[in-house]
Amino acid sequence: MSPAEKRSPLFHQLVVYLLFLILLLPLLGTLVYSLSTSWSATILPSGFTFKWYVALWSDARFLAAFGRSLLVCFGALALALLLILPLLFVVNYHFPKLDGVMNVLILLPFAIPPVVSSVGLMQLFAAGPLPILGTPWILIGCYFTIALPFMYRAITNNLQAINLRDLMDAAHLLGASTWRAAFMVVLPNLRKGLMVSVFLSFSFLFGEFVFANLLVGSRYETLQVYLYNMRNDSGHFTSALVISYFMFVLLMTWAANRLNKDKS
Amino acid sequence: MKSSISSKGWALLCLVPFALFFVAFQIAPLAWVASNSLNTPQGWGLGNFQQAFSSPFYRQAMRHSLEVAFWSSLFGIVIAIIGSYSLRQVSSRLRDFVMAFSNMTSNFSGVPLAFAFIILLGFNGALTILLKQMGVIEDFNLYSKTGLIVLYTYFQIPLGVLLLYPAFDALREDWRESAELLGASNWQFWRHIGLPVLTPALLGTFVILLANALGAYATVYALTTGNFNILPIRIAAMVSGDIFLDPNMASALAMVLVGLMTLITIVHQWLLRRSYHVAR
Amino acid sequence: MSFLHIRNLHKSYGPTQVFTDINIEIGQGQFITLLGPSGCGKSTLLRCIAGLTAVDGGQILLDGQDLVPMPPQKRGIGMVFQSYALFPNMTVAQNVAFGLRMQKVPTAETNQRVAEALELVELNDYAGRYPHQLSGGQCQRVALARSLVTRPRLLLLDEPLSALDARIRKHLREQIRAIQRELGLTTIFVTHDQEEALVLSDRIVLMNGGQIVQSGDAETLYTAPADAFAAGFIGNYNLLDADAASRLLLRPVNSSVAIRPEAIQIGGLGIEGTILSHSLLGNVVRYRVEARGVELLVDVLNRSAADLHREGQSVSLAIGADAIREVA
Repeated sequence: MSPAEKRSPLFHQLVVYLLFLILLLPLLGTLVYSLSTSWSATILPSGFTFKWYVALWSDARFLAAFGRSLLVCFGALALALLLILPLLFVVNYHFPKLDGVMNVLILLPFAIPPVVSSVGLMQLFAAGPLPILGTPWILIGCYFTIALPFMYRAITNNLQAINLRDLMDAAHLLGASTWRAAFMVVLPNLRKGLMVSVFLSFSFLFGEFVFANLLVGSRYETLQVYLYNMRNDSGHFTSALVISYFMFVLLMTWAANRLNKDKS
Repeated sequence: MKSSISSKGWALLCLVPFALFFVAFQIAPLAWVASNSLNTPQGWGLGNFQQAFSSPFYRQAMRHSLEVAFWSSLFGIVIAIIGSYSLRQVSSRLRDFVMAFSNMTSNFSGVPLAFAFIILLGFNGALTILLKQMGVIEDFNLYSKTGLIVLYTYFQIPLGVLLLYPAFDALREDWRESAELLGASNWQFWRHIGLPVLTPALLGTFVILLANALGAYATVYALTTGNFNILPIRIAAMVSGDIFLDPNMASALAMVLVGLMTLITIVHQWLLRRSYHVAR
Repeated sequence: MSFLHIRNLHKSYGPTQVFTDINIEIGQGQFITLLGPSGCGKSTLLRCIAGLTAVDGGQILLDGQDLVPMPPQKRGIGMVFQSYALFPNMTVAQNVAFGLRMQKVPTAETNQRVAEALELVELNDYAGRYPHQLSGGQCQRVALARSLVTRPRLLLLDEPLSALDARIRKHLREQIRAIQRELGLTTIFVTHDQEEALVLSDRIVLMNGGQIVQSGDAETLYTAPADAFAAGFIGNYNLLDADAASRLLLRPVNSSVAIRPEAIQIGGLGIEGTILSHSLLGNVVRYRVEARGVELLVDVLNRSAADLHREGQSVSLAIGADAIREVA
C-alpha cells in the first residue's frame, strides 16, 4: 500500500458509516414507529408495544393480501421458468446469433416504464378475446416480463460458464438424446443461476405496485395495494406492515445468499 | 453434433410460447400506445403531441419530471461516488456488510419508502422536528418538489453504489504506483489517469439514474396520493380514476416518456462500450 | 563506495516477518537479480526500494543519499511491473511521455526523447496505439521505454517476463540486457526463474524465507551452492542425504551432498548402475540411473542416436571427487 493510501483510513470508515446511517434511517424510523404506542409531534415515541404487529398478523385482510401476492409472484416465476428455460437452451445451443437480439429485447422492460405499458394493457385486455383486466392473470403475464431480464442474464452467464456445447457433446457421445441431456446434465448445473435470479426477481415482484394498482387494484388486492389502501389507517399499523414486508423480503434474500454460498 | 431439420424445428417450437407471452404483454401494449398517440379527435396526426408541448399543464409535468430526475440523479451520484471510493478503502468485512445492506435497501422503494419518509420528514416527522429544533430548517414540505427530490435521491443511492463500485474497483493499484514513480502527485494521478478512466462509468451511471427516476410511479403516487404533476402520474390519471379519461392523450405523453427513456438507453449502451472495466 | 547500499533493512506485516537484516551492496552499472521462490520477500524488498511499501527499519543509500524518508515521486527510480501497468486512457506515446510531463520538460524535448525511447525498444510505429491494442510483449516494451525515458538512476524490474510466453520471454530478456548494458544503468531484476537469473545477471542474490541465502556471480552459485536449499533451487542437482551418499560412495559421509547431473560420466570403470529411463531434453539426454540403491539423474550431451542407452542396460558411472559438494 503506497504511503498515500495510509492517509486517514479513519476518514473512509467514517464516510462508510455515514452512508450506512443515511440508508438505515428511514427503516429505523419505521421500525421505531411500528413499535411505539404513540409518536406525534415529538422526537421520540412515548412508549413501546407489540400490539400493532399482533393486530396486523391477525388481520384477515392482510393475510389474504399477503397470500395473493405470494400466489401471483410464484405464479409469474413458474411461468417465467417454463418459458425462459427452453428459450435459453435453444438460443445458446441452436441459435447463438439470436443472443444479440435477445439482449436488445430484454432492455425493453427497462426502457418502457410500467406506466406506459399499463396504458396499452388496459385497453387491450379490458374486453375482446382475453378480458383478463382486473384478474390475477394479467398480473402474472406482466410480472413475467419484469422477471425476464433478471432471469435471462443470470442464467445466460451460468450457461456460458458451464460451457453448454461441450457438456451436450459429451452427453450425446455417451448415448443421451438432447432432451435427456438437457434435463439430466444441463439443468442441475444451472442451479446457481436459477436460484439467484429467482430470488432477485421475487424480491422485485413482491414490491411491485404500478401494475398491481393500475391493472387490478382492489379487485385482487395484493400486499402493496393493501398497504396503500391502509394509508389513512393508523401510521403505527402501516409501519408494522412495512416492517413485516421488509423482513420477509430480507429473509428471502438471506436464504438466497446462503444457498448461493453453499453451492459455490 | 446432430443438427437435423427436425431438431431445429423442435427448437423453434420451443420459442413460440415465449414469443406469444412476450408479444402479448410487452410488445402489443407498446404498439397500441405508439399508434394511439397519433389518434386525435381530428383523425390521425400529431395533434396530441402538439397539445402536449403547448399546454402549460403538460409542460409543467414534463418540467417536473426532468427536474426531479436531474437533481436526484446528481445528488445520488455524488453520494455514490464518495461512498464507493471510501468503500474501496475500508476492510472487506465492513465493505461486504455495507454493500449487502445497500442492495437490500433497494427493495425498500415505492409505497413503503414513501410511508417511511412521511414518518421521518412529514409535517410532524421526527427528523423534521429535530431539524427545526436545531434551527437547521424553518419548515420542510415533504410533499413538494424539494421533498420529492430528497426522497428520490434516497433510492438512487443504492443503485449508484451498485453501478459505480465495480468501476472504482477496476482502478488498478499499479497504475497509481507507476504514476507515483514517474513523479505524479495524488491530484495529478486523478487528473490524468483516474478520472479519465472513470468518466464513461460515471456518465453511464448518471444516465441510468435518470432513467430510474423518470419512470418511477409508485413512490410519488404514494407520497402525494396522485396529486403531484409529474409525467407518470399524469399519464396514469388519464387512463384510470374517475374524472377525465383520455387514453390517446395519455399515449402521447407516454410516448414522450418512452422517447426520453430510449434516448437514455442508447446513450448508456454507447458509454458502456467505452468503459474500461467492461470486458471487450 | 557502492552505488546502492542497502543496510540492515527489515520489514514485517504485523506478526509476520517479511525480511530481516538485509544487507546488499551494488556497484554502478551492475545487473543484479533477486532470485527465490514465491513468498521469499524479494518482491516486497523491491517495492521497499521503490518506496511503494514502507520499511520498518534500516537504510537504503543511493549514491550516498538515504531513500527511506523520501516519497516515490522524488527517488528518481524507474520500475517495470509484472502487469505492465500501462495507463489505458493514453496512447503509447502519451504513456512514455508521462514521466517527462510530470517533470515539466518542454514539449519539443519530450517528443524527441519519447521517439528515442520508442526506437530503443523497437516500437516507433506503435506510438499512436492504445494499450488494449498491443500484445503482452509489446506492452512490456512500452513499460520499459516509459521507465527509461526519464533517465532514472536505478531501474527495478518486478518479474517483468512472467506473464509472457516462452519465445517472447527469451527475446525480450536479451533486449532488456542489451539496453541495460548500452545505458550503463544500475538494475535490480526480480524473478523466480533460475534460468533467467543465470543468463542475465552480473550477480545473483538468492533469497529464502526473508533471508539472503547466497550472493555471488552466476558461475559461483551454480557450481558452489551454499546449502541444500541453494542446491535444490539452482540447476537440477542430485541431493543425497548422508546415508544415501555413504552407500553410493562406499565411504562415510557426514552431511548431505549435492552432485550436478552433468558431472557424472557414463562409461569407464566406476560404480555399477542400471538405466531406469531416459528423457530427451533436446540437446541433452537425461537418464534416471539406479546405482547401489540410490537413484541419480545423469545428463549427457545428445551427440548421436546411436549412443542412446536402453532401459535396463547396465552402465558404469564415474563421479569425480570435485563434483561432490557437501551442503549443510
